[in-house]
Amino acid sequence: MPQEILRISDVDKSYDGVRALRGAGFSLLAGEVHALMGENGAGKSTLSKIIAGAVRADRGSLLIDGRVVTVNGPLDAQKLGISIIYQELDLFPNLTVAENMAIANHQFAEGGRVRFAELDRFAERFLKQVGLSISPRRPVASLSIGEMQLVAIARALSMNARIIIMDEPTSSLFDDSVERLFRLISDLKSKGVAIIYVSHKMDEIFRICDRVTVMRDGSTVGMRAIAEITPAELIRMMVGREWKARERPVRQTGDALLAVSGLTTRKLRDVSFEVRKGEVLGIAGLVGAGRSSLGAALIGLDKWKRGQMTLHGRPARPDSVRKAFKLGLRLLPEDRKLQGLMMQMSVLENCTIADLGQLAPDGVVRRRREVSAVQPLFLHLTLKAASLRAPVGTLSGGNQQKVLFARCLLANPEVLFLDDPTRGIDVGAKEDIYAIIERLAEQGKGVIFVSSELPELLRCCDRILVMREGEITARFDAATATQEDIMTFATNPVSSGEFV
Amino acid sequence: MRAAALGFIVLSLLAISCSRSSTKGGKRQFVVAFSQCNNAEPYRAAQNALMQKRFAGAGDVRLVISDAQQDNSKQIAQVETFIRERPDLLIVAPNERAALTAVMGEAMDAKIPVICLERDILQPYYTTYVHSDNVGIGRMAAEFIKNYLVKKYHRPKGNVVEMRGLLGVEGEISRYNGAQEVFKQYPDIKIVADPVADWLQARAKDRMTEVLRAQSSIDVVYGHNDPMAVGAYLAARELGREKEMIFVGVDGLGGPAGGIKKVMDGILAATFVYPLCVNQAVDVALHMLHDPGFQPQKQYVVPPQPVTPQNAAQLYQKLTVE
Amino acid sequence: MTAIPKRASFFWGKSAGERRDVSLSLAALIAICLLAIAISPTAFDGSRIFLELGNLTDILRQVSIIGIISLAMTFVILTGGIDLSVGSILALSTSVVALVLTHWNPGGAQPFVIAVAMLAALAVSTAAGAFQGAVIALFEVQPFVVTLAGMIGIRGLAKWLSNNANIDIGFGRDVASTFAGIFRGKSVIIGCYIGLALIFGLLLSWTVFGRHVRATGDNERASRYAGLPIRRIKVLVYALSGLLSGVAGILYAAENHQGNPNSGIAYELDAIAAVVIGGTRLSGGKGTILGTIVGTLMIGVLTNMLRLNNVDSNVEMMVKAVIIILAVAVQRQGRVAQ
Repeated sequence: MPQEILRISDVDKSYDGVRALRGAGFSLLAGEVHALMGENGAGKSTLSKIIAGAVRADRGSLLIDGRVVTVNGPLDAQKLGISIIYQELDLFPNLTVAENMAIANHQFAEGGRVRFAELDRFAERFLKQVGLSISPRRPVASLSIGEMQLVAIARALSMNARIIIMDEPTSSLFDDSVERLFRLISDLKSKGVAIIYVSHKMDEIFRICDRVTVMRDGSTVGMRAIAEITPAELIRMMVGREWKARERPVRQTGDALLAVSGLTTRKLRDVSFEVRKGEVLGIAGLVGAGRSSLGAALIGLDKWKRGQMTLHGRPARPDSVRKAFKLGLRLLPEDRKLQGLMMQMSVLENCTIADLGQLAPDGVVRRRREVSAVQPLFLHLTLKAASLRAPVGTLSGGNQQKVLFARCLLANPEVLFLDDPTRGIDVGAKEDIYAIIERLAEQGKGVIFVSSELPELLRCCDRILVMREGEITARFDAATATQEDIMTFATNPVSSGEFV
Repeated sequence: MRAAALGFIVLSLLAISCSRSSTKGGKRQFVVAFSQCNNAEPYRAAQNALMQKRFAGAGDVRLVISDAQQDNSKQIAQVETFIRERPDLLIVAPNERAALTAVMGEAMDAKIPVICLERDILQPYYTTYVHSDNVGIGRMAAEFIKNYLVKKYHRPKGNVVEMRGLLGVEGEISRYNGAQEVFKQYPDIKIVADPVADWLQARAKDRMTEVLRAQSSIDVVYGHNDPMAVGAYLAARELGREKEMIFVGVDGLGGPAGGIKKVMDGILAATFVYPLCVNQAVDVALHMLHDPGFQPQKQYVVPPQPVTPQNAAQLYQKLTVE
Repeated sequence: MTAIPKRASFFWGKSAGERRDVSLSLAALIAICLLAIAISPTAFDGSRIFLELGNLTDILRQVSIIGIISLAMTFVILTGGIDLSVGSILALSTSVVALVLTHWNPGGAQPFVIAVAMLAALAVSTAAGAFQGAVIALFEVQPFVVTLAGMIGIRGLAKWLSNNANIDIGFGRDVASTFAGIFRGKSVIIGCYIGLALIFGLLLSWTVFGRHVRATGDNERASRYAGLPIRRIKVLVYALSGLLSGVAGILYAAENHQGNPNSGIAYELDAIAAVVIGGTRLSGGKGTILGTIVGTLMIGVLTNMLRLNNVDSNVEMMVKAVIIILAVAVQRQGRVAQ
């Protein structure tokens, strides 16, 4: 009878007032592979990091082997036998395999001097366990991703881990590396190691996991044995009840405004779609599906390897950002802090920075002209800022987003690409943004709306495209689509007849 | 705000330490300002030391020395500031001729008596110029070298390396020209290299290393000042070639770091005392201060003197300032 | 509702934060001036030497050359970059102008020869700056590294052109002397500084280019997303830096009556110090020309105060260091929430 090796309960965690976890909990048996599933933002990463000691919970209790423990940092977690392998693999590329395994490893006693022979012996033991026959002296940067992942697991084993958390482990792996990983996981199981497997990939979960816990909106919704559930039921748990949508506006969409065919870039593969006048086209998909890359391609930031685009039926190619702007395309970036705002500049300056060429054709900026160009936009966007001169960093998230909207709308564009426009803003501001999008559609513009929140896509959009790994996998009419449908095509490859 | 308060405290302490040094009223003290171009050169450090000693001995003179660290702009600014303070006498050792000419003119315009020390400027904007005969030194050095070569090869032939100082300085130009006057008469005495080391020993060592790699046979190194000659010696010693050639310098300062000691130790074959000119300058200065009617000559020339192993010890005693 | 700002203020920074920084620097400058007056030695008639018009204009003249360089350095630092080659470009400029003046005899009128000499120096300096800017913009090499290489290489070029010798400009009637006579005048040098300060201040506050410079330094990625011509902006700021170093070099040659390939050593550090003391962040995006001017004057007044009181010039350097650290520490205390 396998005993419970870990139980975490009543976990709360907030970041800057936003609730990431709400009474979440989780239980793990020795020797089992337990999947942790949920949509983007459901809280899986945060919960994993709390268990691994990388993040401190605001509230909650953790029991290991039935005993209450406190984890104040990653080292404590290590000593308790908990180890985490991040999706982005936190190895040091310039150091060797052995050095990576020994660093900050409480099982490897570090004296003053580095004893290379001992390092090698230490590393080799665990490399053998994961089936890697490489020299421990090799720099990590020279390994393939699959090998790096195995090194990370070897490191976890070397710390005497009894609980290993794997976050999206196969996201960068190909076929035989995946098989190798699965063989290793069964091996570890038989040795009594418990694995928390965080993933979206239904087929893998049904193949190697024993139980699954589903999270949604920061809480744990339920736990089931894999043998007793179907993929469709799992998806239903992940997305929850049908959102009682507001009355969807009845919209007349016109002719095709923007048409793209065969768009291929570094990150996209043969993408074709069209946006009509007055239409809101939603784009759904998971992180890394290529949605933001689509925006980057349309706006002229990424090179088009292949593909055609027409605007109003006339061929066009956004070779540069300026060219895209001239064609009437504008982008609201995904991360307003990194890609959008100039934090030290004022609200007014942030609004006008992309269009100074038009506002000041002779090179001299006249404040009155700037202000009068921006004033009407502020009214439409119901932007509240104490002063146009205030640095934009002092505004709330919602208002900052509106500043970026103002910037996009200043030149009256025809097509807008909005990348996750409601990310990190509170409910009230979200409603404002939805209203803005509706108004833009009414004005006859084409709006492309990227989001990870399916309810808002269903509510605001006319049609929805689903992307996965750089391709469009499905197209839906928003009036008849369901969240399950969308989620299905976001998580599975195209050939997925059984999951309808 | 705390940092600002701290800053003010620091500045105030500084201010207090500054104000203690300025005297107001009391017995009539003459103020003499000396703008030295570069304290880092041993020759100039010796000048400073001797000047301080002499003026202290006079009893009624307050001497202020500024160091321009071989920077023209700095020296111009320092002289300008001195002019503001209206000293009774200004002594200037100009860093470079062209750069300092105008500002010394300004001092003259401000009716401050100016003694130009040891190096000259482009125009005679000074009350008097106290210097030595660099051309004569150049000639003396070249004669010495010629005689040495004749003894070595039985005729006046050989390879000479000249290590040169700052090219914009009269002393440098004269020491070079004076030597040329002599060398020109002996076509078989060849100057195989004349790198510029700006009077500095370290730089001379680097330049000499380059020369040693390029030249397989060198007979004499004529350094236009002792530190450069010594730097050349060190370079040669590192490559094991110091016995191949002799080293001749100029300056001949006393004291354990000076050129005379190097002659005594056998590192330099000879040097030529380049007088500090300070004694003469201070004499004239004191005369000018104490006797308002005194009109000094436009120039005072102080004669040089050769230093060889024969008279080194004796000169060492005489010229070392305690 | 949103408040509408009044007429754009002239030099003042765009935001309350920048205005506060400049006010702090100004307050510090005034404090140092008061201190200098307080401890100033007095002349025979009891007046304070520090306050004499001659001394005050001396200070202005003494800071002008580095002050001019600092104006362009402000722009470079605002884009998040740095230019270590300014001293070497100054040296190159002095050598070029002196070489043309002393070696070129086309038989034309003196003003013509002087103009050509100055244009040559400015052209070479701007090209040196633009070249570095192009490497930084096109190959995306760090500005520190590129301008460090430039610092070394450009000085080598200056030494090679002048055969590592100073080129004396005399006091006679030849064209070189005339040039020096005109351009070494206090009023000319100070006038140049004030004029350029006005131009660059306006450039930063009122032009599209100025905005672009600040945006690039504030958030380069976002600027790219906003369609700004990042590469062009970078080449331009480094070209401007070269240009102003060239101007400084021309004035230096006149003032010192020589072309000197060894001049300008460590000038980049003084220029950067003035910019930093004036409130501009090294990370870019935040800063004003007025702040840089204040920083420049602060160093000038401080140096003058110490010299008037006959403090050792080495102590001068230590005091400068303390001031720089204090200035940055005070600015850190009121950071805008990001």
